[in-house]
Amino acid sequence: MSALLPPGFATLEPFAMRWAGETAADRAHLRAAYPDAERDAFHAACAPRLEAGLAHLDETPLAALDEAQQRLMRLLLTFAHVSLAVEVQGPDEAQHAPLRASMRITRTPADR
Amino acid sequence: MNTHTPPFQPVSQDDVAWLGTDPIPASPYYDPAYFELERKAVFLRSWIQVGHVCELPDPGSFIRREIEFANASILIVRGKDGAIRAFHNVCTHRGTQLVMAEAGRQSTFSCPYHMWTFATDGALVSAPDFDQFHVAKKDCALPAVAVGVCAGLIFLSFAERPEPLRDWLGDLADRLEALPVARATTFSEYVYEIDANWKLTYDNFQENYHLRFIHPRSGGAATGPDNPFGYPVHYGFHGPHRTQTIWSNRAAPPPPAPALLSYGKAAEAAAAHGIMVSQDAKDYFALFPNFFLLGSPLQHFSHVVMPISATRSRGVIRLYWIGEDDSASERFAREYLMATARDIHSEDRGVIERGQRGLSSGALQHIHLQTQEILCRHLFRSVDAAVEAYKAEMASGAEARA
Repeated sequence: MSALLPPGFATLEPFAMRWAGETAADRAHLRAAYPDAERDAFHAACAPRLEAGLAHLDETPLAALDEAQQRLMRLLLTFAHVSLAVEVQGPDEAQHAPLRASMRITRTPADR
Repeated sequence: MNTHTPPFQPVSQDDVAWLGTDPIPASPYYDPAYFELERKAVFLRSWIQVGHVCELPDPGSFIRREIEFANASILIVRGKDGAIRAFHNVCTHRGTQLVMAEAGRQSTFSCPYHMWTFATDGALVSAPDFDQFHVAKKDCALPAVAVGVCAGLIFLSFAERPEPLRDWLGDLADRLEALPVARATTFSEYVYEIDANWKLTYDNFQENYHLRFIHPRSGGAATGPDNPFGYPVHYGFHGPHRTQTIWSNRAAPPPPAPALLSYGKAAEAAAAHGIMVSQDAKDYFALFPNFFLLGSPLQHFSHVVMPISATRSRGVIRLYWIGEDDSASERFAREYLMATARDIHSEDRGVIERGQRGLSSGALQHIHLQTQEILCRHLFRSVDAAVEAYKAEMASGAEARA
């Protein structure tokens, strides 16, 4: 199987299909879309690669990112949401998720 | 350098005694008759924030806004001359709504029914077989609504003779103009509907008493040992508008790594845009009746609470940014900062609805506000003064007609 992400991010490959949300609303939804164990596995794999991932992507203008790089970008953006679940809400995440459902993301610069 | 930070001192009751201490009547927070008075006395007579100039970048750019309190659909258009105008989204032939798109760019607006066509300045430019009508084209322009812009923020007024927007904003106008929103070119937005009165909803965001209970995990440095409720360091009163200067716990443990990275990137961007040093970075502006703006250049957000009925409202929160995402790091920072604000607002929304259910039962004659909920008291007093003045005006009008 060919790589979905740029070279150097092999540890994130298992998450590339499922966690690279297309829009900010999709990414916010993904935060609570799967069992906690899957979310935690994504978080554990992505947290140590966040800075390296952004440093790699920062070398290329956003408009010139290739498909694999765009996927890595979206994966890291989903991590922004997932990190709040794991690092901020922690044990309260399950009761927090329904509160967020009414807060519809309608626009971000990344979506345009 | 070891700088000494004096212990936190809350604003004293003496400073706000002029606003009184009486309990506040509960029915204005659920009674449809009071809401109807507010609609006429407050919302149809105030400048209401509805958009930002960055939504109208070019001649012909337009946005459509549904304004429930006015029962109106409004078209806000940048004309060929660059001026921003607002019109009722209503064909002057037989009333058909002209535009259904939420936003776009057009050089003219044509009614689908009989093809009456209007220019970006609202003038009727063509209508098929117009000779058959008994009216002049110049008398068929789209009905205009007063529009004003301050700090890039677009306001509408449905008042018959609105005072100029800058007069309405008073001394806050110049302070707003100095904030990043005045130079914003884009924004992130999230929207919520809520089964709650607009004042009850709005009040939640102008008192900090609830922070430690409702935001125990997301509240971060908003509270601390010498200020366990996270009360502000200052309240400001500016006619019907108000401000608070936010306190933050300098000794709070550092936030998680993605937060540090995001705040760092946002600070870098703010410095690059020359907006990092802002006098009002800690100030939270509350413009009467229903608009907030946080001065922070890092998480520079506005929040509008639009009334729909006595017990239903819609909130629109926007984080304003200067420039498109210029790098992956900036894109990440903006997504993260939006998500953190959204987490906090989600927690608020839940408890506000719970408050409405209690109030709507009619079980309470009054609600009670403490000294550090003084901004809520100020809003009620400002609204109630407008309602009472309106009632007196109606009564004297009725007397004059009798």
